[in-house]
Amino acid sequence: MRPNPISLDRRQFLARLAISPLLSLLPALASDKTALRVASLDWALAETMLALGHNPIAIVDAASWNKFVVEPLLPAGIIDLGLSTEINFELLAALKPDLILTSPFVQELEPALQRIGQTLELSVFEKSAVPFAQQQVLTHTLAERLGRSEVASAFLAGAEKQFDSYRARISALHPLPVLLVNFMDGRHVRVYGGSGLYQNVLERIGVSNAWTGETNYWGYSTVGIEKLATSQNLRLIAFEPIPPDTQPTLARSPLWSQLPFVKARQVSVLPPVLMFGAIPSALRFARLIIELLEGLKK
Amino acid sequence: MSATEKLGDARAHGPLTLSLALAALAAGSVWILLATPVSHALAHGNATNGYDVVRMVLVYATLPRLAMALLCGAGLAAAGAILQQVLLNPLASPTTLGVDAGARLALALATLFTPSLLGFGRDAVALFGSAASTVLVFALVRRTFSAISIVLAGLVVSLYCGALSAMLILVKDRYLASLFIWGSGSLSQQSWEPTIALAWRLAIIAIPLAFLVRPLTLMELGDESARSLGISVERLRFLAIAIAVVLSALVTSAVGVIGFIGLVAPILARLSGARRFGERLLWSSLIGALLLLLTDATLQNLAGFSSEFLPTGAVTALLASPLVLLLLPKLKTATRPPLQISPRVGFAMPRSLAVTVAFAAFAILVALAIFAGRSSTGTWQLFPSNGWADVFAWRLPRTAAAAAAGALLGTAGLILQRLTNNEMASPEVLGVSAGAIFAVAVSLFVFGNVKTVQEGIASAIGGFAVLALILLLGRRSGFAPERVLLAGIALSALIDAIVGVLSAAGDPRAVLLLGWMSGSTNGTAAATAIQAGLGAAVLVAASLLFFRWLTILPLGGAQARALGVPLGHSRFMLLLLAAVMTAAATPIIGPLTFVGLMAPHIVLVTGIRRVLPALLCTAAAGAGVMVLADWIARTIAFPLQLPTGLVAAMVGAPFLMVLLSRRGTAYAT
Repeated sequence: MRPNPISLDRRQFLARLAISPLLSLLPALASDKTALRVASLDWALAETMLALGHNPIAIVDAASWNKFVVEPLLPAGIIDLGLSTEINFELLAALKPDLILTSPFVQELEPALQRIGQTLELSVFEKSAVPFAQQQVLTHTLAERLGRSEVASAFLAGAEKQFDSYRARISALHPLPVLLVNFMDGRHVRVYGGSGLYQNVLERIGVSNAWTGETNYWGYSTVGIEKLATSQNLRLIAFEPIPPDTQPTLARSPLWSQLPFVKARQVSVLPPVLMFGAIPSALRFARLIIELLEGLKK
Repeated sequence: MSATEKLGDARAHGPLTLSLALAALAAGSVWILLATPVSHALAHGNATNGYDVVRMVLVYATLPRLAMALLCGAGLAAAGAILQQVLLNPLASPTTLGVDAGARLALALATLFTPSLLGFGRDAVALFGSAASTVLVFALVRRTFSAISIVLAGLVVSLYCGALSAMLILVKDRYLASLFIWGSGSLSQQSWEPTIALAWRLAIIAIPLAFLVRPLTLMELGDESARSLGISVERLRFLAIAIAVVLSALVTSAVGVIGFIGLVAPILARLSGARRFGERLLWSSLIGALLLLLTDATLQNLAGFSSEFLPTGAVTALLASPLVLLLLPKLKTATRPPLQISPRVGFAMPRSLAVTVAFAAFAILVALAIFAGRSSTGTWQLFPSNGWADVFAWRLPRTAAAAAAGALLGTAGLILQRLTNNEMASPEVLGVSAGAIFAVAVSLFVFGNVKTVQEGIASAIGGFAVLALILLLGRRSGFAPERVLLAGIALSALIDAIVGVLSAAGDPRAVLLLGWMSGSTNGTAAATAIQAGLGAAVLVAASLLFFRWLTILPLGGAQARALGVPLGHSRFMLLLLAAVMTAAATPIIGPLTFVGLMAPHIVLVTGIRRVLPALLCTAAAGAGVMVLADWIARTIAFPLQLPTGLVAAMVGAPFLMVLLSRRGTAYAT
């Protein structure tokens, strides 16, 4: 497998470049004393808030954010509410949030949360056929509640423009179909397709997914690595982290090492992207893919 | 039933007939699996230029996988046959002795903390884990190698390892599906290398094993006779157990946990008529190999029908546990001598003083748990920053609910230990908790997201369904406590396997299920706490009414009958009460606390022996342990809160080991 050819600095630079036109639209935050104090129990909602320029005061599992969401880095001063299965209610209550954002995943906490403050449940993932429709609705609903509808419209329009430009750049590259995987160990992968975030992005920017097998409700499937055997010409993209014994194990497998796409060195690695993310994660995934594919052409 | 009858008829050529039948079935399944790819490979030969997917998958995935199934089945079955022989225990196996669970936990720890070890050191890691859990099981039962005690200890250690793994997954990593995959044993292969490596290792182990066959056979004559023939029984035992542990660790290291093959294959060999140990070892290995091959080939044939990932190990457990239930009546388990309770052990305080001390300690704990905590910035403080608001809204309900659940489980544990004369009996191994988990899992996976109320209802239904089943199975034996416990163990394993299958696919709901199993008291509503408290008060009070039975039953069946206790009826009532208590407590603090095991032992140490004060003190001890666990869970890792149930297991289990290790005189058997 090749190391990721794109250096971190360049990626961060590009990230800022991509967001900079949006930033200019945001009203100054510091002066906004009346802003709602919002706690988010869902990362996708938290990242959407960050994109709308309204930082949450507290989020769940903040300690792992930089490992799974990666970008944007979590701004300093956001309070960690603990594990998502074990929210620190005393802490949350002491913060006296105006609004608590929840998802269907923490539904069972609803009665306890309602003792603390107003809640708003937003479902990030619906198995809808229309890519991003759910995320757009979610962004608007959230923005309305935060009084940032205009920012949201600008953000969504910017995102659409961004996706369109990515699509144009992709069509110039004529990329191979991609196989998106997470290595579980030396013998198993999770492969993505169906109607998950990654698939939505691939469709939006015009990259075809080589995985035609079934996936579960969330758009992925756990399979033995032998299920990836194919004579099709494709590019395998593996998300980090890759367990350390995976590469040596695979190198010794004829089934793997003689695969056409392995022989042709069409295997790349991407940093993690939040699978249950919203538009910001989708934009980031699209950017990572296009940087990767363009980097390969050079 | 018919299967076992047939086995009996075929006794003369039993093992051969059984192996042939299995071989025929396995061959049929393998043929279905291989027909298309083999004919494709033959037709195209090596002529195809480029990558021939069908041929590559056949040669480097399907065939090594089938060979791996044969090897793993044989290795595990041999390990089981050895353990059953050494311990003279028909229920011994790598699964029931906790050997598997130790390897699994060690691999999970290595995955999380020292992933670099997993390359070449995987075997060593698995071996270390297996050895550690085996030593622990033997330390728990000490020298009383009674069949049921050792299996109960094995189950307790397995459950503990499971609790630790669950904690790791919850705290360290949200999407760590690979731990589930290893825990459920997937045979998926992509080269011959692991198969060949395992074959070598098993072949090397076979050499010392061959030398042990004769002395192990002589062990059947009894320790004394064996000794007079010049065999060092202790050394032989140690060596043989070590070999069994190595065999099973190697298999676990190669493919993960394959449940129950090591139990079922030797039982089948024995029941089909293999008499001498040498025969049993050979036939067990063959039967084990064929069983696993049959299971895996069939699973691969069926894989097309399901998009979900089905690990073989979990499926073998799924299939084997009903078989174990079926075979149970065929197996003779030694009846234990009546409980002899020596009146003066431990601190031997005057009884009234002991009771006073117990309740005073409990009161102090409760005060600590309610008042001491962490402020929003994380500093320790003796009074909550929000004052009474915090106490009434958050701390009081969760503390009260934890205490109520602890009291319920503690009392249930005492009842079960008295009823079964077994100090390792506890509600956790009765199967009621497992039934509750299963029902919650089903409701999560079938109905999607469920609310707390529905979870409570589901867990109660599941708990009672298992209870009904256990009572039904137990009725045939007049509620003989050992049978009931064994049935509970088999059901727990069955349900564990189902949960494993659900989780291995990496479904995000598995995390919700884990969260539920970890026993969260977080956010308990005042109403729930009041209900739990009332329930505990009523049920503990009800247990006091049975004090006469609880005094007499441990003297043994004959004695009890002579004293006018209706055996079947009294056992039924006590089991029912224990199960109701468990079903009420499980939704609050989860199924993995071990408090039902711990509380009675804490009380034993204080020297309280009479049933009435023991019941009250056990309730208090159970409540105390849970209150302490709840406080630790809430404060120790601020701002993280840990699940109370798992913290109870973490904190309590080592403490329990200490108690058990110094018991010696408490239960003289």
